Amino acid sequence: MSGHLLVANGISKRFGGLVAVDDVSIHVNKGEMVGLIGPNGSGKTTLFDCLSRVQEIDQGKIEFDGVDITKKRPHLVAHLGLSRTFQVIRVYRELTVLENMELSLQWGKVSTAKLFQKPDSSTRDKADQLIDFLLLSRLRNEQAGTLSGGQRRLLEIGMSLMSDPKLVLLDEATSGVNPALVEEIKVRLQILNQEQGVAFLLVEHDVRFVKDLCDRVVVLNYGALLAEGSPQEIMENKDVIEAYFGDDGETDAPEGNDTTVEAKSEGVI
Amino acid sequence: MRRLVESKAFRRVAVMLSLAVLAWLVVLPLRESTTNSTLFSLTLMLTTIAISINWNLTGGFTGYVDFGHAVWFGIGAYVTAILMTKQTSGLGIGWPAFPAIVLGALIAGGMAAVIGKATMRLKGPYFSIAMLGTFVAVREIVRVASPLTGGGVGLTLPPYLNRQLFYYIELGLVVALICFTWWLRRTRFGSALIAVREDEVGAEMRGINATRLKVTVFSFAGGSTGLFGGLWAFQNTFVDPDIAFVESRTIDAVMGTMLGGIGTVAGPVVGSAALYWLREVLWANFLDYHLIIQGLLLIMIVLYVPKGIVGLFDPRSTSIVTLWSRWFGGESVDAYGSSEDLVQMNDSADSTNDHKTEVTS
Repeated sequence: MSGHLLVANGISKRFGGLVAVDDVSIHVNKGEMVGLIGPNGSGKTTLFDCLSRVQEIDQGKIEFDGVDITKKRPHLVAHLGLSRTFQVIRVYRELTVLENMELSLQWGKVSTAKLFQKPDSSTRDKADQLIDFLLLSRLRNEQAGTLSGGQRRLLEIGMSLMSDPKLVLLDEATSGVNPALVEEIKVRLQILNQEQGVAFLLVEHDVRFVKDLCDRVVVLNYGALLAEGSPQEIMENKDVIEAYFGDDGETDAPEGNDTTVEAKSEGVI
Repeated sequence: MRRLVESKAFRRVAVMLSLAVLAWLVVLPLRESTTNSTLFSLTLMLTTIAISINWNLTGGFTGYVDFGHAVWFGIGAYVTAILMTKQTSGLGIGWPAFPAIVLGALIAGGMAAVIGKATMRLKGPYFSIAMLGTFVAVREIVRVASPLTGGGVGLTLPPYLNRQLFYYIELGLVVALICFTWWLRRTRFGSALIAVREDEVGAEMRGINATRLKVTVFSFAGGSTGLFGGLWAFQNTFVDPDIAFVESRTIDAVMGTMLGGIGTVAGPVVGSAALYWLREVLWANFLDYHLIIQGLLLIMIVLYVPKGIVGLFDPRSTSIVTLWSRWFGGESVDAYGSSEDLVQMNDSADSTNDHKTEVTS
């Protein structure tokens, strides 16, 4: 069990009468890449909000790196090494790319005395390194609000990495990003995972992206856990195909590997 | 033009100009022709500037627009008055002015911490309205609690004689406050405040303890405004609920800050001073219309120069640079142009340039 980084048991979240997340248990091991997929409205982002403590949960228990974070405030969760990006991109629009990155430093290590000093050069060096790594050097001094959607995604990924996280929750890191850049993001994430051992939990609609990156995939539907397994298993899972495409998908489809979510999704998209 | 605004020489001129103004303010009371009423008027201007600086800390840097900020002024004034007047201090003696004023500031700051902790959970207009409510509620509590506060009759403080001393004290405090804000903006703490303003949820997820930051800065601002409240009470020698708790102190702070440039260090200083003298000039020359003219000017500023006077010198906003290029062509504003019409204007400028090159070639 020592390999577990994030363990969430029996998470439930209701909004009035709507059960957004229904008794979901999920875990992420150290250095693992896990995909979280599911049709629109299946509760992926709400689950992310619960895990990162942006939302209060109604039931369940969350442990991160051996610490119970069920009741912890979001900034303390961030100090422990859990970082995330948002579906609706959250960058500081009025500030430059560099300022955005500098502001995402490891606040947990900033003592009260240091709080009243200027940011030191190590923060800037690190920000510059990450900016280069994410191919944003040309935009270093531009205001984040003037960046394109894809560039902002990259910037937000960079911001989530500034604090040396152990686990990053990526919420649709590739939506609105052009295909060439998606490949680039994929490579960058792989490097981070393999060289620095950063674990990722990613919500994604791009099935191929998930398949290429993830060791394990978790599928949600109507807020509940539908399936879990290796990418290949999930692609061939009949429940998953049904959840995505309804009954038609199953009856029309011929036997064999073609009946995968990937093949279907390519056809649809 | 942009090169001019960003150049070191320009900054140097700005610093020299500020120092010249400061020197003039220091020398002014020493001149024979300066009357006591001029001094008191200048002291009031300094008070207005100080309140604006404090308001800007929460409203400008942290993004919590406080419509009840004058409550801390009133609390500072009343604590000072209660401690200094013999009849209500309970000890049979009045406190000396300075300990009373300092304690008034501390109590205002403490109350700001407590009230801020509760109200700063609210966001946007809800916070503003909650603070407006706090302001009205505290005023009425002061009116009702007559054994302590003298109720609607108010309290009369011991008289004082030295206007010059208080002028210098307030001048020193305002200069200190400006230096403090300038320094704070450059620290991690200051950057974190901007992060909270820009996106509080995002800032928390990046590890910033937003609650602690914003309550700390709110409490400091409250205490600082309370300090000026105490100083004012002593100089005014009289407080009652309607002159200690005045909405217009908040409104002036908001207007001054907007005029000068919200969220900047120099903005509230420049804006409040400008507003103060604008009002004096308009009042003296156009008594009947002065509020109308003042209002129209402010609307124009918010519409056309939303970043205020200081924003005119910030190449990143609608500044003198962009206005210059809009009116006279010349330099492009590409990287900094934020609004759509600027981009459009740029495009058209580019196309005319293209056209020219075509013609020449």
